Amino acid sequence: MHALEELFPAPDFTLLAFIVLLPLLGAVVNGLFGKRLGREAVTLMGLGSVLVSFLFSVVTFFILHHQGEEGATKLVWRGWQWMSLSLHGGGATSLWVSLSVDALSGTMALIVTGIGFLIHLYSSKYMEDDPGFYRFFTYLNLFIFSMLVLILGDSLPVLFVGWEGVGLCSYLLIGFWFGEEKNAAAGKKAFITNRIGDFGLLVAMGLLLYYCGALDWSGIEGARGGLLQEVTIWPLGDHVPLANVLPNSMAVWLNTPRTASAATLVCLFLFLGAAGKSAQLPLYVWLPDAMAGPTPVSALIHAATMVTAGIYLVCRTSAIFVMSPAAMFVVAFTGGLTALLAASIAFAQNDIKKVLAYSTVSQLGYMFLGVGVGAFSAGFFHVITHAFFKACMFLGAGSVIHAMHARIHDTDASQDMRNMGGLKKYMPYTFLTFAASWAAIIGIPGTSGFFSKDEILLKAYSSYIQTPNVHDSFEWPKWGGTALYAMGFAGAIMTAFYMTRLFIGTFFGEFKGWDIVKKWKAPAHEHGDHHDHHHDPDEKLEGPEPHESPWQMWVPLAILGTLALFGGLLNAGALEIIGVHWMPLEHFLEPVFKNASASVKVIEGAEHLLPTFLGLALVAVAVGAGGAYYIYVTTKGEVARAFTEKFPGFHQLVYDKWRIDELYEETVIGAVDSLAEFGAWADKWIVDGIIAKLSSFLVRGTGSLLRQLQTGRIQAYAAVMVVGLASVGWFLVAPHANAQVVANHASGAYSVTATPGLGYSYRWNENGETVPETQAFGDKTSVSFNLDNGAARVVSLEVKNAFGQVAKRKFELQRPKVDMTGIVDVTQGANGQLQGTPRPQQPSQPGRPSAPPILPGAQLPAGHPAVPQGE
Amino acid sequence: MNILGNVVEHYVLLSAVLFTIGAIGFLVRRNVLTQLMSIELMLNAVNLTLVAFNRRYIGDMNGQVFSFFIIAVAAAEAAVGLAIVLSFYRLKQTVFSDEADQLRH
Repeated sequence: MHALEELFPAPDFTLLAFIVLLPLLGAVVNGLFGKRLGREAVTLMGLGSVLVSFLFSVVTFFILHHQGEEGATKLVWRGWQWMSLSLHGGGATSLWVSLSVDALSGTMALIVTGIGFLIHLYSSKYMEDDPGFYRFFTYLNLFIFSMLVLILGDSLPVLFVGWEGVGLCSYLLIGFWFGEEKNAAAGKKAFITNRIGDFGLLVAMGLLLYYCGALDWSGIEGARGGLLQEVTIWPLGDHVPLANVLPNSMAVWLNTPRTASAATLVCLFLFLGAAGKSAQLPLYVWLPDAMAGPTPVSALIHAATMVTAGIYLVCRTSAIFVMSPAAMFVVAFTGGLTALLAASIAFAQNDIKKVLAYSTVSQLGYMFLGVGVGAFSAGFFHVITHAFFKACMFLGAGSVIHAMHARIHDTDASQDMRNMGGLKKYMPYTFLTFAASWAAIIGIPGTSGFFSKDEILLKAYSSYIQTPNVHDSFEWPKWGGTALYAMGFAGAIMTAFYMTRLFIGTFFGEFKGWDIVKKWKAPAHEHGDHHDHHHDPDEKLEGPEPHESPWQMWVPLAILGTLALFGGLLNAGALEIIGVHWMPLEHFLEPVFKNASASVKVIEGAEHLLPTFLGLALVAVAVGAGGAYYIYVTTKGEVARAFTEKFPGFHQLVYDKWRIDELYEETVIGAVDSLAEFGAWADKWIVDGIIAKLSSFLVRGTGSLLRQLQTGRIQAYAAVMVVGLASVGWFLVAPHANAQVVANHASGAYSVTATPGLGYSYRWNENGETVPETQAFGDKTSVSFNLDNGAARVVSLEVKNAFGQVAKRKFELQRPKVDMTGIVDVTQGANGQLQGTPRPQQPSQPGRPSAPPILPGAQLPAGHPAVPQGE
Repeated sequence: MNILGNVVEHYVLLSAVLFTIGAIGFLVRRNVLTQLMSIELMLNAVNLTLVAFNRRYIGDMNGQVFSFFIIAVAAAEAAVGLAIVLSFYRLKQTVFSDEADQLRH
């Protein structure tokens, strides 16, 4: 440990750069040479870079932990200066490309690289037969790189680079099999929906720069007091346009200025970004569609890591989030609503990955519910446990799909739960790990999900935000805790129900895939393409049985399943009930949330609530799981079928995801479409019709005129050339009586200099209209003379060229009349002082006041206006 | 001191006459070969001018050297020009410049 700390000193912690750059190296090598390297080399590069990155993260974590005991909370690698931003009100702040790690980002980096490595390992087998194998690992490595930049970036702009990077990788991986229209469309949907969130993040960045004057984490926290000022958010200008045509009371209401604190604005925009990335209302619609990507991608990006970036962002900026109770309430409430809505949709889905996707949206809602009430470490703890059990579930689902696909050979049918069942018998490892993560997500006591979810629910009821010294118009409502808890509690019951439904439908009962295969008439030679499963021509059933996956796939499952079961011990707050206080994660994270926790208040009597809430949690699990067991096992799904038959419309509505996608289609996308159609119309008729047609007409007309000059006869061109050259020659030979006149009106010195020419000779009359004929031409090229104040003179010039031709020109010169009164001639006296002598008095012009005369010998200071400058 | 004296006017006049003959010849004749000869005439008129004016600057041979350059370049130009005339003749079976109007049509 000591040697490591000496190798990587805390002020310049270069190890961070290695952690970040290794996956990038893997991506570059695989991306550029992957096609020629072959499968093994690509696997080695892809897995190796992430594994080493993970090991470095572990080292970083231990160094951080060790430093933490000595009081240091943060290790920084300062890269180079990115840009210098000028601030409003003067000054500038420089922005560095620098990385930093503290308890929060260190833990997150462990999750990303650790689970990332497991999923890389899993993918090496899952994607084995895919022709885009190397492309897949390029994207995965690039994703790990971007995610690490997002986590370890020391400022909001660096985070934003990673933020966009993971968005890009998500898009590339969702549309990985872009041959199918559906997958490409899902990728685009994810990318465009995320753009809306990114807009929010950009605006928040601008606001932070404006009000705090800093964008790096410590700078923001240090200057967060600047966010307390009130900002007028309405009306946008001085008044609402057209408000006067409305009835008076309405106009007054419209024109009343509304204010909000800058913190609220910043936090709401930050949350818009977080909601886009983390699939919260109203921007959650992209995540379920994102399941079009390969299953390991769903596990890594769309369950374990990328979608938690929004929670990470809120935790990272917790110090400014707590300054706005209103924004925090919006975060918590949105999270609760999303948890409920997504869980309700998961009830009616049959696609195993769709159920898991809505479950992810719902769990992300829980996390926002947690951080929204100020339980940052609880929300972040749920990020960790959710990464364990949801990655395990997705990989398990991938294993199931892998087995089903080997039998059914149809992507959609092999993901349909109605074709599964009884897989427990064929896939024991997958079953066991799935069971572990099922127990965790529904919250069976002792599992990781139990500890994290119940911590959130307890805090949702008992915590609220009240920032000292902030006089916000918003006050945390009395019913807030109850409402938030109720949403979370209902969500917990629903989670237990649909997850049990999924679990039973997949692994218990009879395998229902036989029928599909019986109808399936496959040519025998097709089996040759699938050497990963056993094929026996004498088997009675057509097609092979579902089978367990190879070790590369179930080992990650086993590790994640174990973590799903026991990961709760990282932060086992519920053990308080048996008198054990064991919350190492919360203590580790304490310095990160130090500024924020001052604003988090707890209702009275919260310490006695734990037994009640644990009882309620058990009730939720029992009701949800028991209900599902009764419906799908005891009555073999009779109740569900009867319900569907009784309310077919309602079932269809839930099955169609409450038709939110259709609503967006009609409103937002419809509006954009009509705008695009208007644009196309304007392009066709205004731009093309008028502007393009008119200019083409002009060009064509001019062209047909000028074409007449192009006769195609050499003689014609030559004649034009001869005439042109002769003209130029004539001009050069003819005499030109030009001259340069230099006039100095102040001193009265004037000169006229004739411009030179070949063979020229000159004669002058320095004062007269004409030059006498008797005078001879000579070499004198200039005349100069002085004029008195107000005097005028005419100078005549005649120029003769070598052929005896003569050109004449007259130059009229006049010196303007200037009032000389008060102008003083200044001389330096013998004693070094300047002395002024007034000019001889001339009759002053009427109407112009004369300056007071300066007496002879008066001493003038150096800056006096009468002293000539620069002489 | 020399038999030609320092009078350049005669040479310049001769050169002007030669140049004019060449220019008119180029303009009025349709035969490309004749046109090339007219160009040579104009070039030689220029050479004559250069050499004649060089007489005015004793010890400075720039004008004469320059005219050698012109003679060399004119030889090269004549070679290229004749080659063009030859291929033009192969193309059109004629050497009249009126016929060289493919870019227009």
